[in-house]
Amino acid sequence: MAPKKKNKQSSSAGLPGLDISEIERLLAFMDKHHLEQFEFSRGDFRVALKRGWDAGSSVSAPARPAPSSGGSSGRAPAGEAQATASAPAAPAAPAETHHIIKSPIVGTFFTSASPDSAPFVKAGDHVKAGQVVCIVEAMKLMNEIEADVAGTIVKALVENAQPVEYGQPLFSIKPDKK
Amino acid sequence: MFRKILIANRGEIALRVICACKELGIPTVAVYSEADKNSLHVRFADEAVCIGPPRSSESYLNIPHVISAAEITNVDAIHPGYGFLSENANFAEVCVASHITLIGPSPDLIRLMGEKDRARREISAAGLPVVPGSDGIVEDSSAATKAAKRIGFPLIVKASAGGGGRGMRVVRKQSELIPAFEAARNEAQQAFGSPDVYLEKFLERPRHIEFQVLGDKHGKVIHLGERECSVQRRHQKLIEESPSPAMDEKTRNELGARVVAALTKIGYTNAGTVEFLRDEDGSMYFIEMNTRIQVEHPVTEMVSNVDLIKSQIRLAAGEHVEDAVGPIEFRGHSMECRINAEDPETFVPSAGRITTFNIPSGTGVRVDTAAYADCVIPPYYDSLIAKLITRGRDRAEALARMRRALDMFIIEGVKTTIPLHRKIFANAQFQAGNFDTHFLEASGLITTHGK
Repeated sequence: MAPKKKNKQSSSAGLPGLDISEIERLLAFMDKHHLEQFEFSRGDFRVALKRGWDAGSSVSAPARPAPSSGGSSGRAPAGEAQATASAPAAPAAPAETHHIIKSPIVGTFFTSASPDSAPFVKAGDHVKAGQVVCIVEAMKLMNEIEADVAGTIVKALVENAQPVEYGQPLFSIKPDKK
Repeated sequence: MFRKILIANRGEIALRVICACKELGIPTVAVYSEADKNSLHVRFADEAVCIGPPRSSESYLNIPHVISAAEITNVDAIHPGYGFLSENANFAEVCVASHITLIGPSPDLIRLMGEKDRARREISAAGLPVVPGSDGIVEDSSAATKAAKRIGFPLIVKASAGGGGRGMRVVRKQSELIPAFEAARNEAQQAFGSPDVYLEKFLERPRHIEFQVLGDKHGKVIHLGERECSVQRRHQKLIEESPSPAMDEKTRNELGARVVAALTKIGYTNAGTVEFLRDEDGSMYFIEMNTRIQVEHPVTEMVSNVDLIKSQIRLAAGEHVEDAVGPIEFRGHSMECRINAEDPETFVPSAGRITTFNIPSGTGVRVDTAAYADCVIPPYYDSLIAKLITRGRDRAEALARMRRALDMFIIEGVKTTIPLHRKIFANAQFQAGNFDTHFLEASGLITTHGK
């Protein structure tokens, strides 16, 4: 009987990207050693973390990881770090390709039309092309963002009330097979 | 003082503003298009927000995206740099409505100086000499003929919504007038959205001399001397210097005082530049005013010991001009070369990756740039790679330093105008300080193919 081939991939250094838990570990590492800046690059991959200090404060609570392209939300507590990660465009999951719905504008992301209403979509929902999936508020205007393909929502990539920049990934969606 | 400043620009000026903010201890937000993801201004700002795809109209000129970026990063001031939205009165008004301080003058002043014929009239009423010309917009051919009779030939037809050398046509005799007038109106409509044109006497061999001014929000205006920017190609400045070799102390003081009086009357605030043409007989005539910081601001900084960007920020924050600007010490002479990514003979833009970038340094040399080895000069924006600035005890030393620095400035991977600058600085007429705005073509240093 041929031995079963085990296809186990470790979640650390081998992959081209970093996930949130690894960034959190790096930030805790920076915290522990009172580091203000940390940069790492290998081949095409590079990550740079920079902590912004208030003039008078010292190391306090471990920093919350910030969204991966800058744009902090509102009043930042002392010691909030900012992460920028650039990775080559490698497919994350070999089996299926997910389509990413990106923000066409700069603003604040909201999952629902108002604080009391239900979210437009949740993971597992099927959407048609042109269906509203979220709101991005900009300059007091609520812009409805539409899915550009038909498919099944895999997950939301940003949190409610999070600031987003142009091109920021909002949802991953599994497109319907043609 | 401001809590946080967003820089609505890119490249070397964005980096320059970030430098000033860092020195003032003010956190910064950079905005960038997808083409500028790896830019130095993004790198050195405290936060960065992507505001669009590469095209300027969809990113750096996209007012909703810029304002949105300002809102989500919670800034209380925006520095617009030069170009882009810096002289856009509409943008200035949106900033006011969004409770964000624009670091510059008020929307009304921006609008006034942006309508070139109105600016002429107001500045003339405020007591500065203007180039003899039409009394406002010339509406039709018969008005053009009437105005031309009074002004005489040669004259120049200028777009009211133009400026910076664009939308202008020279007319040398009566028979050329109406065709040129109509063509200029069409071009103006296409390029600037308004067909309005006015007429001015055309000076054959003028020198371009401009005064740097600063005004606070308490009614006080000062000037920091003049810059000469006569070495131009198609109205684009290549070399600037301060002081002007054509200016004497007496004229500087007299004209400077008149400039200050006029701008005080108008109520000008923040940084600005008042542009004059100096005729061959020494007469100075106002042509236009720019209500923003200029590309060539470093030459004034070098000869006055003033940081103009920090001054702008402090003036916008409400400080009195003496505190915002600090002590002014005029000394020596400064020159600047605009190093562009262009073929030094054909001026065809040369975008691409810079493979070698060796910046000159040493005594009296300053380089303002956002380029670096291995960076990419994108094709979507202007071709300025770096500003090479020198200062010396006198013009001869500033000039010798520039020649030395140009020799040591090595840029490979893209074509640059450095070879042309070296030729200009080796030219005897330029070295003698004896030139006007036609110098480059007249000298044979560049060939004009009528393009």
